[in-house]
Amino acid sequence: MAEIRFKNVQHAYPPPKGQKPVYALKEVNQIWEDGGAYALLGPSGCGKTTLLNTISGLLTPSEGEIYFDDQEVTHLPTSDRRIAQVFQFPVVYDTMTVFDNLAFPLRNRGMDETAVKQRVAQIAEMLDLTANLNKRASGLTADGKQKISLGRGLVRSDVNAILFDEPLTVIDPHLKWQLRSKLKELHQQTGVTMIYVTHDQVEALTFADKVVVMYDGAVVQVGTPVELFNRPKHKFVGYFIGSPGMNFLPCKLDRGQPVFHNNLLNTSYPVGNDLSGRTEVGVRPEFVEFTDDGIPVVIDKIEDLGRYQVVTVKHESEVIKMVVDEDQQIPTDNPKIQFNPDMTRIYCDDWLVGGGQNE
Amino acid sequence: MTHPRKWLIPTLYILFLMLPIYGLLAMSFKTTGEILGGFSFFPQQFTLANYKVIFTDPTWYNGYINSIIYVVINTVISVSVALPAAYAFSRYRFLGDKHLFFWLLTNRMAPPAVFALPFFQLYSAIGLFDTHIAVALAHCLFNIPLTVWILEGFMSGIPKELDETAYLDGYSFPRFFIRIFIPTIAAGIGVAMFFCFMYSWVELLLAKTLTSVDAKPIAATMTRTASSSGYELGLLAAAGSLTILPGAVVIYFVRNYIAKGFALGRV
Repeated sequence: MAEIRFKNVQHAYPPPKGQKPVYALKEVNQIWEDGGAYALLGPSGCGKTTLLNTISGLLTPSEGEIYFDDQEVTHLPTSDRRIAQVFQFPVVYDTMTVFDNLAFPLRNRGMDETAVKQRVAQIAEMLDLTANLNKRASGLTADGKQKISLGRGLVRSDVNAILFDEPLTVIDPHLKWQLRSKLKELHQQTGVTMIYVTHDQVEALTFADKVVVMYDGAVVQVGTPVELFNRPKHKFVGYFIGSPGMNFLPCKLDRGQPVFHNNLLNTSYPVGNDLSGRTEVGVRPEFVEFTDDGIPVVIDKIEDLGRYQVVTVKHESEVIKMVVDEDQQIPTDNPKIQFNPDMTRIYCDDWLVGGGQNE
Repeated sequence: MTHPRKWLIPTLYILFLMLPIYGLLAMSFKTTGEILGGFSFFPQQFTLANYKVIFTDPTWYNGYINSIIYVVINTVISVSVALPAAYAFSRYRFLGDKHLFFWLLTNRMAPPAVFALPFFQLYSAIGLFDTHIAVALAHCLFNIPLTVWILEGFMSGIPKELDETAYLDGYSFPRFFIRIFIPTIAAGIGVAMFFCFMYSWVELLLAKTLTSVDAKPIAATMTRTASSSGYELGLLAAAGSLTILPGAVVIYFVRNYIAKGFALGRV
């Protein structure tokens, strides 16, 4: 086990003829603490898998260095890195039985056969594969095969980290939930570093202690689920996490406080007046309320989602979403809204500015 | 839709296909005199003499041995050269890869006759004329591109994550390639070998041009329709029947995989 450190890691895939290289990873400086449960969250194509492959050595980054503790591993081949990785789609050795598949990584490291048997039995038990151990792996269903892939990732106990690349995509929803809690449980038991790539925020927020949000090849924020929710450092995090996403409204600044269409708003995190760039005010739908006094709005749409309602309102041409309790009356006569000042933040050119960034 | 006589058309079709083969078989059990005497559907004087000649006369059975030797050499060379080539085409992107891949296929567009003369000269010059290896190498010109083409299809059907998983599990590339990858695409190798065999077995022109005595293939022997003892049609028919056999045996083993090859569009 080791702490994994990224120092200025960048990667560009070879560009099509006559074009400039496009960076799939941009200046990643990141420390993955030993024993952490991380989720790597971001939209498809943002560089999550590229990042993962640089850790396991399937890809050598075009710039920068990677360290496991104090050892530089940037150019070390995959087989020497002691990393386990599970891919999105099942990978099984078709010619072997389920048992041999699970035993394969252990035997390759010269573990003796009784220990192999014991360990495989343990993992098979955990993944409900015991009944299939002697079957050919090629005969299983897609989720059975994916369980083998998972098992092969989990079976070694000497690994530096286990990387999961959207491993539960092909698995049934109820089983998905079960397996995710098994992974979490295993993490608590063994304390091995786990990095879990996903574009599903629920999956990320339930699995991880720390969520790393990536956008367009860069790491935009690292934090606990609560931090990401309350204090998105980048507009993308605001959009991507939470449902519905954060409201962003264009604003001007008056003595550090945001002004939205001539309505002075209050924030607990004012900024200096000398910002150049596009300024916006951000507030989550959960922290917008109807009040007697505030910004006048027109109600556009009400969606009842059971335990709460999502209300879409408009001020001038700006759309604001708000989350309201299911039993709350929606005012019909001249509705007005207000933002919670503790949860209202200012963004400049997509990045969070103003006080309270490191509370 | 089930029709009571739906078996009729396929049966007629198969009968139609089998007719010449039956004629050949029937002839092989007749004496030459009977064949020349007129048409009969069943052998009137059933005889195994034709087969006996083939299995005892070295000029005949050596033809089979020669053919089998160069076919096997050719199949081994083709597959072992094509495996790494197909792997490269399926896994790596390099300058001109698509053009090269297509160019490989165009090698099959020229008729073998085009190459007969240059090959004859070349092999004579380096002293390979009338050897098994000469024919085997000549057939590689057509078989390697075909094999690369077939194997690339099968290999591209295997996700590259299999390779990556093997590295993660502690295998080096050569070990992975031999211990995991080759068994995984065994079906593809079987199909590729079958096509190498088939082509090399039936090809006559190059095989005949490049050999005279020591490596003379069975098909060339069969073109000798008359000998000092006159026409030997019964003998030829027996030789023909035996020539069909190896193909039938080989296709029996790969029958299930051929369909897969067709599905991949590579056969």
